Amino acid sequence: MKYVKRIVLSLVFIAGLCGLLLASSRIFVPKSNNKESGTEEVEANGILGERPKSVDGVVLGDSESYSAIIPLQLWKERGYTVYNCGTSGQTLDYSQVMLKRVFSRHKPKVVLMETNAIFRPISRSNMFYTMLCERFSIFRYHNRWKSIDIDGISDSVNYTWTDEWKGYRYSNLVNASSSEGYMSPSEEYADIPEANLDYLKSMKELCDENGTKMILVSTPSTVNWNYKRHNSMKEAAKALDLDYIDLNVEAKEIGIDWTKDTRDKGDHLNYSGAKKVTTYLGQYLQNTGLMKSHLGDPKYESWDAASNKFEDLISRQK
Amino acid sequence: MDDRLIEILEDIQPEVDFRNCTTLIDDHYLDSLSIISLVAELEDEYDITIPTVEIIPDNFNSAQALYAMVKRLMEES
Amino acid sequence: MFQISTYFSLAYLVLLGITVVLCAVLPKNFRRLTLLFFSWLFFFSVSGKLMIYLILTIATVFNTAIWLSNVQKEQDTAAKDLDRETKKLIKAKYQRKQRGILALCGGINIALLLMLKYSPFAATNINTLLRLMGASYQIRVPSFIIPIGISFYTLQAVAYLFDVYRKKIQADPNPIRFALFMSFFPQIMEGPICRYSDTAYELWNLERVRFENLILGGERIIFGFMKKMVVADRLNMFINEVFTHYFLYDGFVNALAMVCYTLQLYMDFSGTMDVVIGSAQIFGIKMPENFQRPFFSVTISEFWKRWHITLGTWFKDYIFYPVTMSKPMKHMTSKARKKLGNHYGPLIAGGVSLFCVWICNGIWHGAGWHYIFFGMYHFALILGGNMLEPLAIKTAARLKINRKSLPYRVMQMARTTVLVCLGELFFRAHGLRAGLVMFKKIFTEFSLATLMNGSLFTLGMDIFDYYIIIVSVIMIFVISLLQEKGINLRQSLQKKNLAVQFTAVYALIMFIVIFGAYGQGYIPVDPIYAGF
Repeated sequence: MKYVKRIVLSLVFIAGLCGLLLASSRIFVPKSNNKESGTEEVEANGILGERPKSVDGVVLGDSESYSAIIPLQLWKERGYTVYNCGTSGQTLDYSQVMLKRVFSRHKPKVVLMETNAIFRPISRSNMFYTMLCERFSIFRYHNRWKSIDIDGISDSVNYTWTDEWKGYRYSNLVNASSSEGYMSPSEEYADIPEANLDYLKSMKELCDENGTKMILVSTPSTVNWNYKRHNSMKEAAKALDLDYIDLNVEAKEIGIDWTKDTRDKGDHLNYSGAKKVTTYLGQYLQNTGLMKSHLGDPKYESWDAASNKFEDLISRQK
Repeated sequence: MDDRLIEILEDIQPEVDFRNCTTLIDDHYLDSLSIISLVAELEDEYDITIPTVEIIPDNFNSAQALYAMVKRLMEES
Repeated sequence: MFQISTYFSLAYLVLLGITVVLCAVLPKNFRRLTLLFFSWLFFFSVSGKLMIYLILTIATVFNTAIWLSNVQKEQDTAAKDLDRETKKLIKAKYQRKQRGILALCGGINIALLLMLKYSPFAATNINTLLRLMGASYQIRVPSFIIPIGISFYTLQAVAYLFDVYRKKIQADPNPIRFALFMSFFPQIMEGPICRYSDTAYELWNLERVRFENLILGGERIIFGFMKKMVVADRLNMFINEVFTHYFLYDGFVNALAMVCYTLQLYMDFSGTMDVVIGSAQIFGIKMPENFQRPFFSVTISEFWKRWHITLGTWFKDYIFYPVTMSKPMKHMTSKARKKLGNHYGPLIAGGVSLFCVWICNGIWHGAGWHYIFFGMYHFALILGGNMLEPLAIKTAARLKINRKSLPYRVMQMARTTVLVCLGELFFRAHGLRAGLVMFKKIFTEFSLATLMNGSLFTLGMDIFDYYIIIVSVIMIFVISLLQEKGINLRQSLQKKNLAVQFTAVYALIMFIVIFGAYGQGYIPVDPIYAGF
């Protein structure tokens, strides 16, 4: 009897705690997706503010991705609605979080996963933390006590904001890289953390359930990419039955000029490099036949406006 | 209780009621330096040797305990 | 927060949870083995192959203690039924042998500690010396990875050896019991430094885990997390910034960083002790306390009896008294007392021993001149305080000040706290020179400009961070005040009805969840004392 009582007590205690965590999560969760409301990584989370089911393509990955793929160029050239959800130093646990958020609002046809993030190890504790944050968002947003708006705590969540460049981060800096030894062939394999393969697998399953095609993309980088990584990625893609394109192998064909197209000695591409990569990717996406053009569709007028603004900025920079 | 002992104690630390206090060490009335004086004084006064093992709070927390230790050491030698 | 190698990690809590469950269901014989197994697993997962050092210490000390006790037994048999004079001779002979054994084994273990921790420091200093003398020869500076807790468990081992030598305890014939005493995982990293008589048998005769203990211990663990996650971690960025770029900031910012660091050190270490002692309590083991509200101390000497208590008592029992009670010192004390009187006479011997203690204390904290300076600083304060005490008593009497009155005591407490903070400044500073510059700045470049123009709130802590620190410190102060009055909060909580108990624990947990400095934008402080 004593033991039953104690077990019941413990369960009641835990249930109460979970209730409290859920309640406080509701209070602390950002009521919109702009910076002022307390959302993290606003450029990437701007996708939540796009009209529901309007985004057909999503890019995931770290800074490589948001430096190399320009959604508004894809819009202008092909009429594709792509949003770049790359964040700096992204690890796959967050890619997965991002992907789930995307699916809660959109039905993308294609998910492009930039591969550099796949090699970034994630500590077990960070995995657990991310998992905890997904269950109880209070753990992610607890710091909002500093800025919380007492009047707004009971408001329902309403995403209103979107990034004007759809997640791309512009840079016109040039800091040349030597391409000596870049992508020299090798038979060796780089190490992909075991847990990361699991994340990749579960993300692929999520895409499958939603009828979305997931494609792995390695964007050009002399610092981050090499043939060992290429080999491992190719192998992993095969094992997971994913399409894989390595733009490093195609760098010459794409026309990447390492004296002009990188902003930090080959680590990231600048606008000039990104433009070339995006053109290439546009062609690739067209060949898949998965996406369709929304050019001229009045429902997508905002994309035209954003694109014009972006063009305007580019022309002023020159 | 030995009056000589109380005198010695009061000489070293005048601000304490040694007859009734039982937490001389626990409440920090006697610090290590007063204990050195105390040990030297006791050794002289009672002609004993106090070995290091005896210097534990239990023996120094009250005048009674101190006197008990002194008596025991006198008998042993 | 979520990495192993700190007690504030998920990994630790999981390990603790598993061990607690096993110790709640297994029979006694298996409980102790479980505890030893998980203790070694913990050590191995933090320090890997370096576990060999722990095993080495356990093996040497265990066997030496048995050897010592055999010699003691031999002595007793040999001295039986003999007259006084021969007895004395035999005793002297065996004493020499015992001392030799003690010196050999104690020496090996201390030497191991010294080699791992201090040889790089020693080599660097020798090289400087060589350079100064104009020699072109330089010795290689070695570098070692140090097994966790070596500074703590070595002292624990040496104390055991000494106690056997002094016949305070019997040598343990059971290697498993001794190994468990040495490696109990909640305490191995940061103490408290336990005595064999404190915990060895409690660990060995481990009770089945009791529900009350689970609650009491759990509450204490949560309180420790509060100190660490809300206060110590929140202060971290500001402290790092100021101590790294001290030259950029004025005296006020430096002084504030000094106070914040003292607070951080207290919250980190005493919070860790709450987790450690709370964990032990879950198993029904009563560990010695390491803190007793140190900031209520009226003198520096008292402060050190309330701060890192088990280290202080270790130094007292195994350095201070052995030195003062040695024959030449005692002789000197007797002589000096006759010449200098009762107060100042023992101060000479006491001073010499204190010097030894504080040199060791400084060095124990780490290889660096600023640690030695830190030790000497407290040595000077304690000795100085003692020398001035008769004067203070006289002055107070002349001015008709009651030294026991509250205002006077509060004044003393404030003075002690200021002195402690100044000491911690040197303790934390990047080297002695930086410490001196910071110290000078506090007195020569003091200005409230950063507070007025708000730039203070851009140095890693904004105004809200200060608010929450102040609120937490007030909470902890009130709790300390109650404890100082002898009130045991957790036990009185247990007498309240369930709703009150639940609310209290929920409130504390939610306070940590909301106001803890974790997640994006925060870097938790590494366990400070595990590095010593």
